[in-house]
Amino acid sequence: MADTLLHRLRPRTLRARIAALFMALLAGVMVLTVGVAGSGVSLFAHAVAERDMAANARVFEQLIASRAGQLRDAAMVVARDFGFREAFATNDRATLGSALASLGERSGAEVAAVVMLDGSVVTSPGAPALDGHTLLPALDAGKDSGVIDLKGKLGLAVAAPIEIPDLAGWLILAQPLGTRDLEALGRLSAVPIKASVAPATTLAPAQRALGLGEIGELPSPQGRQLVRLSALPSLQRGIEPRLILSHSLDQAMQAYRALNTVLITIALVGTLAGLWLAIRIARSISRPLSQLAGAAQRYAGGTVSKVPVTGDAEVADLAQSFNAMVDAIEERERQIVHSALHDGLTSLPNRRFFIEKLDRAALRQTPASRTMVVFVDLDNFKIINDTLGHPAGDALLRKAGQRLQELFPDDMVARFGGDEFGLLVTGLGETADPASLARKIHAALNDEVDIGGRMVQLTASFGVAVGPSDGASSDELLKNADLALYRAKSEGKGTYHFFEAALDEEARRRRQLELDLRRAVRDGGFELHFQPLYSMAEQRLKGFEALIRWNHPQRGMVSPAEFIPLAEETGLIVPIGEWVIRDACARAAAWPGNLSVAVNISPRQFSSPVLAQTIVQALAASGLPAHRLELEITESVFIGNVERTLAMLHSLRALGVRIALDDFGTGYSSLSYLRSFPFDKLKIDQSFVRDLGRDTSAAAIIRAITTLAAALGIETLAEGVELESTMEALAREGCDLIQGYLVSKPVPDAAVPALIDRLAGEARQRKTG
Amino acid sequence: MLKRFLTRLPIGLLCLIGVSASGPQTAVVQVFDQRGLPVEGAVIEIPPPPGSTRPVSFPWRNAMAQRNQTFVPGTLIVPQGSTVAFPNLDTVRHSIYSFSKPARFQIDLYSRDQTRSQRFPITGTVALGCNIHDKMRGYIRVVATPFAAATDLNGRGSIDGLAPGTYRVTVWHPRLRGSENEAVKTLTIAPGTPARLAIELR
Repeated sequence: MADTLLHRLRPRTLRARIAALFMALLAGVMVLTVGVAGSGVSLFAHAVAERDMAANARVFEQLIASRAGQLRDAAMVVARDFGFREAFATNDRATLGSALASLGERSGAEVAAVVMLDGSVVTSPGAPALDGHTLLPALDAGKDSGVIDLKGKLGLAVAAPIEIPDLAGWLILAQPLGTRDLEALGRLSAVPIKASVAPATTLAPAQRALGLGEIGELPSPQGRQLVRLSALPSLQRGIEPRLILSHSLDQAMQAYRALNTVLITIALVGTLAGLWLAIRIARSISRPLSQLAGAAQRYAGGTVSKVPVTGDAEVADLAQSFNAMVDAIEERERQIVHSALHDGLTSLPNRRFFIEKLDRAALRQTPASRTMVVFVDLDNFKIINDTLGHPAGDALLRKAGQRLQELFPDDMVARFGGDEFGLLVTGLGETADPASLARKIHAALNDEVDIGGRMVQLTASFGVAVGPSDGASSDELLKNADLALYRAKSEGKGTYHFFEAALDEEARRRRQLELDLRRAVRDGGFELHFQPLYSMAEQRLKGFEALIRWNHPQRGMVSPAEFIPLAEETGLIVPIGEWVIRDACARAAAWPGNLSVAVNISPRQFSSPVLAQTIVQALAASGLPAHRLELEITESVFIGNVERTLAMLHSLRALGVRIALDDFGTGYSSLSYLRSFPFDKLKIDQSFVRDLGRDTSAAAIIRAITTLAAALGIETLAEGVELESTMEALAREGCDLIQGYLVSKPVPDAAVPALIDRLAGEARQRKTG
Repeated sequence: MLKRFLTRLPIGLLCLIGVSASGPQTAVVQVFDQRGLPVEGAVIEIPPPPGSTRPVSFPWRNAMAQRNQTFVPGTLIVPQGSTVAFPNLDTVRHSIYSFSKPARFQIDLYSRDQTRSQRFPITGTVALGCNIHDKMRGYIRVVATPFAAATDLNGRGSIDGLAPGTYRVTVWHPRLRGSENEAVKTLTIAPGTPARLAIELR
């Protein structure tokens, strides 16, 4: 309960807390100051009063002593007077009495008396009686002054010895200690002090408890009083006179009370002023803070919010920093948004931005306001990148983008990544002709461009889709433009194609085929067929070429011509190729003699880093000697990085396998390849072999190849040999080996032993025949 | 002449005591006060025992001189009826007065080397003062017995011619508490031992 109350009382805001702390500190200091000053004043007043009283007591004692001295002087004169002594000695009481009376008058003493040695007393006639016996002890002891009792009042008495010449008595003079003396004493004091004399026995108990010379604070009807007691000399037995000095403390403190009031007023005013100041300072700190907090909240809410730069240096700094931060965040956000939606290299919008815009365009498009989507792919980018270097490739990309943007300054040109670009033209009317636009694009992108002072041929293919007829959504339009590009690419480089519905159907079929192909890779849907490689010179079988067959569950046997390009495209060629190598090695290991097996390695597979490892593993697993494995590669492996290809070839050769160059004569057929790598075999493309009978130039080419190969020590093999005459012609032209239906079509693995036997039998017949 | 006599007087007294000490009849009395201090200037008197025929006379002169503003001797014992001389040996003048009952008299100022005299017919103490010198005190003890002595600095006094025995003795001293500054005591005199007397002084 108390906790919650405290919690509730605790200031929540910084401002309140600062003000409260300030205030508490100030109030504490003030209370302390007033307290210390007050008690100091009180102590001072006490000390002053005490000092005054002590001084007054001494003054009073001196006063009494001096009065006593006066009286004593008078008494002495009389006591020594011869006549007085004579009257005394003759015991003439009448004379003595009259002498005492005149003495009293003369000295101003109220009482004049003679005390005899035996205590008897002679006084002036009519004077108050004295009890001589109570005086004797003091007189005998030689005291000559002191306080005595005068009919109930206290008086000051002096005694002078009467000697004739021996001591015979004392002359006593006494005076009441009247208010006159005491008032005189009061007047002597710096502070108003009341003095009185009383016997100790009549003192109040509180006063009696006070030691002599001590100063005590006693209550009285007039308020608190400082009281000091001191003893006065007594001349009478049983009388203990006390001088009582009292000083009204309230009165003494009166002056200081005014001082205290002033102090307290100053403290109050000071505290209030401090509170006001604390609130002002606290506000000057907390107001900019809450402004900042507000601005930060608004900024978090999405509004660009700044704070006014006012106030003291630190506060202004803070506000300035805040504003600078807002600006910096704005700028960074802009950059982030830009880089999220733009391509860093060309500063063109990226694919995401393009699709966003295409989304909106697709929603708005109508037959009267059509959308044209162009999907561009640079044809020779990879070659330029590889041959001229990346900076040149980057420059080429920028140039291509620039060309497109120049052509369509008001439309969106985006880079999709790699060498792909997109163009989005919106609001095409019914009369607008996409075909003419496509021609313009084709002209712009198939031209020479200046890359770092070198003229480079830019070639690009692109596909075009026009909505809404080619697609109602952005996805559809983009996909269809992509399909059109694919078609254009497959038709050759530097071309373009508009989307047609058939393209879509073909694409669908391709997708299905791809799915089936993946399944076949996973489930082992392939098998190898083997076609013999026959040596004409030796008249015997040298080996087989492994040829892949796909036994499609629905479509039956699928031609490699149909699925190998797809496998190349999708990268499935790598796992398929591995399977081929392993399976071919395993089969060949079971063959008699040293028959070799030839395996086709696709360019994609050739660039795979695991090829060599796969071969080593396949050889090891099957136990096939390396020289019985022949890898057939095409010239296309040299496209791109020749050196890397050569390094790869050498490393494969190092394994001990043989390497044949397939389809020789159809591609670049660069003779430099033959020089740079010692191939084991050249396979002459069947197009030359087929024309051998009809075309003399074909024979010339074959002769040239075989001559060249013989000169370089390379075996030659002719593919697609179907006729006996062809075989004879090839033999004449110096070809070493043949392959084709003449010998045998490719047979399944199970049929291989029979084929081997048959060919061996034919060879024996031929030898004997 | 007189001066020489006075200075010789104690020597004479001593001789006398020495002579009488050999006899059986010299009594020494020593007086003390309440504090046990010997008392000087006390007078011891023993009334003549019955049958004593010894005349009342003393070996000292009946004179009380004033010298150096002092009465000399301070205490003088004289027989009743004697006349005492007051020679002034000082360079200043002195007057002598007495308010004592046995002899009230006043002698006016008189000069050096003058002598006044006064007769004392009544026994008792006569306190002498000088009217102009308050400090001067002299005491004349007028006695009617020859057995009297004043004590010396050691509180001793010697009385001749007394047989050993017990006596009533009157002691006087100016500060003795008691009527007329006298006290009556009993004193036993035994030969060879000084008798002690205790008195109370003011």
